[in-house]
Amino acid sequence: MDEQHPLTQAVIRGRRKEIPELVKQCVDAGEDAKSILENRLVPGMAIVGERFKKNEIFVPEMLVAARAMKEAVKILEPLLVAAGVKPEFTAVIGTVEGDLHDIGKNLVAMMWKGANIDVIDLGVNVAPAKFVEAAQQHKPHLIGLSALLTTTMPSMKTTVAALKQSGSTAKVCIGGAPITQAYADEIGADGYSRDAGSAVDVALALLRGTALAA
Amino acid sequence: MNRDFYLTLAKNGQAFPVATHLTLHEQPAADLPAILLDGQRLGQVLATSARRYRNPLAVPLMDLMLEKQSLLQSLGIPAELIDTYHFTAPPADGAPAFTFTPRMTATCAALRYIAAETDLVPVGMCIGPFSLMTKLLSDPITPVFLAAGGADGEEEPEVALMETCLRLSLRVITEYVTRQIAAGARALFVCEPAANLVYFSPNQLAEDFGIFERLVIEPNRQLRELLRQHHVELIFHDCGELTDGMVSRFAKLEPVMLSLGSSRKLWEDARLVPDNIVLYGNLPSKHFYSDETYPVARVRAMAAELREKMRATGHPFILGSECDVLSVPGSEQIIQDKVNAFTAWSGAP
Repeated sequence: MDEQHPLTQAVIRGRRKEIPELVKQCVDAGEDAKSILENRLVPGMAIVGERFKKNEIFVPEMLVAARAMKEAVKILEPLLVAAGVKPEFTAVIGTVEGDLHDIGKNLVAMMWKGANIDVIDLGVNVAPAKFVEAAQQHKPHLIGLSALLTTTMPSMKTTVAALKQSGSTAKVCIGGAPITQAYADEIGADGYSRDAGSAVDVALALLRGTALAA
Repeated sequence: MNRDFYLTLAKNGQAFPVATHLTLHEQPAADLPAILLDGQRLGQVLATSARRYRNPLAVPLMDLMLEKQSLLQSLGIPAELIDTYHFTAPPADGAPAFTFTPRMTATCAALRYIAAETDLVPVGMCIGPFSLMTKLLSDPITPVFLAAGGADGEEEPEVALMETCLRLSLRVITEYVTRQIAAGARALFVCEPAANLVYFSPNQLAEDFGIFERLVIEPNRQLRELLRQHHVELIFHDCGELTDGMVSRFAKLEPVMLSLGSSRKLWEDARLVPDNIVLYGNLPSKHFYSDETYPVARVRAMAAELREKMRATGHPFILGSECDVLSVPGSEQIIQDKVNAFTAWSGAP
């Protein structure tokens, strides 16, 4: 991995307009799509996540970086499909029933995609039954539940219960302004992420069954 | 009514939450839809909530979806799409005749009730223009970031869309505020929670605060001017995560009260805010539902610490919640106990 590679730097700095040309240069130089994804793009987003956690950058910078990454993946997608390359993990994400806020959920979805997780976004105001349906349809490894309001938080509890009841084995990760680790423990969620920057670490720890770094 | 009224409340050691939602939800759930559409009954809820906590201000529900519903309804967006609707292209930037929703009409009627039937101060309520704009776009962060980097609407269509939505937001809010003033509002609670670190990168603001001035402060300055013309006081609220520069700029709007979220240390903010502006807040009421994180004893201790530290600054201060205290199903009593814990502290220092 070369942190200074122009494509990696374009992701880190969120220079979306430079992405098509830089991806083309990599392809023309003989790099395969999987290598571009794993050695140029994913490391770029990992650096973005680290800088966010250290308060060196903030949500807007993280968002434009994720958009740059998305632009690159869009270009690479046909090549990845042709090569039979699939993300290792699949996640379903949504804002719980009664809650219409989507900024946090969108950020987490983008960060998970940036970590090469296939993300199915159910949107906002998602009923427990819809999460269960998505779990049965997509067989995700991970399900993310978001809520911004204290008034909609109880929907998380209902959703977690519905997922367990349905036999889903996906790990459930929750987050949002009023959420705490204590609440995650109380409702039986597998994980809690305090912000979008930490969401990748929490997800990968849950998916790989490893402990989170302190 | 004038600034001295609020400064006197602070001097008297007043402590009160913004708790209309909490009070409203003591009513049978089946009655709530009817109460929300009935100005007199809604007004009675406002009055009950104010009197319970010895708050002379009658404050409507902090429902920040009303203006979006009105705006989109006026533009002909089907009702079932409104809650999740986002513009993908600039709407006509003309002057739609805004249709006020029944909830808005009831809020105005509630203010009339407060003005006519009680000795409480009728306080209007609106979302801030910037925060409303963020509800109209699927991704409001990127255009703000691009605009901060110098991109204009011609160069970046997203910036043009954001600017059009901001103009429309200010217009619908202005009309709603005008109507609340006509209904008797003598102060206005402007909620601008999206003006925060999620939407504005401190890295960009460190170089230039111009984007924050242009997108947040200038539209609110126009609202402030409207209030001034009608001798209505501004109560400015932002419970988001903020920088010192943001707080300083809110103070320049000259609110009578500045209400901030629990991420701020009010005793430090006291140096950023002139002495004629009451600082209000900022106990972590969004987490009152959790006895594990915030048991009653901890809330009581935090209230005492906050009072003590604010007293040391000499800055006018009213102890309160960080936002509207929402009634969480199943946790109503837990939340109520904590509100009681800090309001019981009320009394002259």
